[in-house]
Amino acid sequence: MNIQEYISSGVVESYVLGLLTAQERFEFEQLCNKHYEIKAAREAFELALEKEAMQNAVPPPPELKQKISDVIFGSKKSAPVMPLKTKQERKITWLQLAAAACFILLAGSVWWILNLRNENQQLQAELKKSNEQIAQLENDARAIQKEGVKMVGLAGTANSPQSFATVYWDTTSHDVYLLVNNLPRPASDEQYQLWAILKSGEQLQPIDLGFLEITQKPLQLYRMNNAQAAHAFAITLEKKDGNPAPNLDKIYVMANL
Amino acid sequence: MGCFFVLSFNQLLEPKTRYSEPELVALLKEQSNEAFSYLYDHYAGALYTIINQIVVDKETAGDVLQEVFVNIWRKISMYDAAKGRLFTWMLNIARNAAIDKVRSKGYRDGLKNRPVDEAVSSGMAISTNPAVNDVGLKKVLTTLGEEYRRLIDLSYFQGYTHEEISKMLGIPLGTVKTRIRTAISQLKTMIQ
Repeated sequence: MNIQEYISSGVVESYVLGLLTAQERFEFEQLCNKHYEIKAAREAFELALEKEAMQNAVPPPPELKQKISDVIFGSKKSAPVMPLKTKQERKITWLQLAAAACFILLAGSVWWILNLRNENQQLQAELKKSNEQIAQLENDARAIQKEGVKMVGLAGTANSPQSFATVYWDTTSHDVYLLVNNLPRPASDEQYQLWAILKSGEQLQPIDLGFLEITQKPLQLYRMNNAQAAHAFAITLEKKDGNPAPNLDKIYVMANL
Repeated sequence: MGCFFVLSFNQLLEPKTRYSEPELVALLKEQSNEAFSYLYDHYAGALYTIINQIVVDKETAGDVLQEVFVNIWRKISMYDAAKGRLFTWMLNIARNAAIDKVRSKGYRDGLKNRPVDEAVSSGMAISTNPAVNDVGLKKVLTTLGEEYRRLIDLSYFQGYTHEEISKMLGIPLGTVKTRIRTAISQLKTMIQ
């Protein structure tokens, strides 16, 4: 067999370009292994073909690479194409997520703590107020339960039969306390005034024990002026700023001792 | 962290580590992602051009290119360097995939719905339309005599066997074979 003739017959190019039948291909491969010249001719044509193909290569659409990589590696593992970028992008996303979660947690905690603090302050204020009220009530209770304290129920007169008030008079210290059980609300230019009444013979002498600053507080015990002596107590409705002498037409409640 | 970033950044700027062919093949056989990326960057254009000479429709050519790279990736363990260069192996995968595509029912049905001119240029009658993809082997083809050109077109670009061409053209098988060999041995001198 003439090797040179074989080489120049076109069989080398046909082999490289895939135009041989299976049988011819097998023969060519056998001969390649035996004859260095045939292999050299094959390699020379392959190189020329490759060089020519590279020089004339038209690049495919740029998006194809990503698409093909996605098919081969799966779209999640797109790392092979641009390993750094994808890695970093993922990292940033993860970090951002973590930061967002931390921020939400932090904001939530701060809000919760502020709320608790607020609530705590409110509760403390309420507790303080309650304690003060209790102290006041205890104080009042002690004041009116002392020995020598006279309790006088002042009944409603014809002016206001439903009215009722209670005077606690400490006959030792002469302190006077008033509990308003039921009195109609006075007009804005009027005020209730408490009187102690002394009898000397037929003479009645009223002693001013002070105005009532009516509050809405239940069980309010009003501290009035001291009374050295009294035979009766009465409450009259007076013009604001009061009268030196009681308006006897406007007695709302009274009681004798 | 900063160090890692700088290193990777440099890698991004100069990702084109050059591999020798045996290195590249070895890495591909280990399923290296970077090797695949390199393979694609290096050879996609050449393979796409060859596919495009057979499948003219760009979108379909892209589909074939995808098929070709998937096949290369899956069959790389079957590549035998003793039988030829890596590019030669890939070239034949690309050519066969393109011919299969052109012969597939779906592709031919698609052609029927297109204007005649376009269908003609889509690979069925290359010799009448030398302007399309006039590079590479196809360019060389235009310099051949008509009787050779038709034979190379039918065998190389359309994938017909010598027997099929013999029947198709009513030329004895021996003559077909001789003419193709003669034509193709001219290719060698033309591309070198």
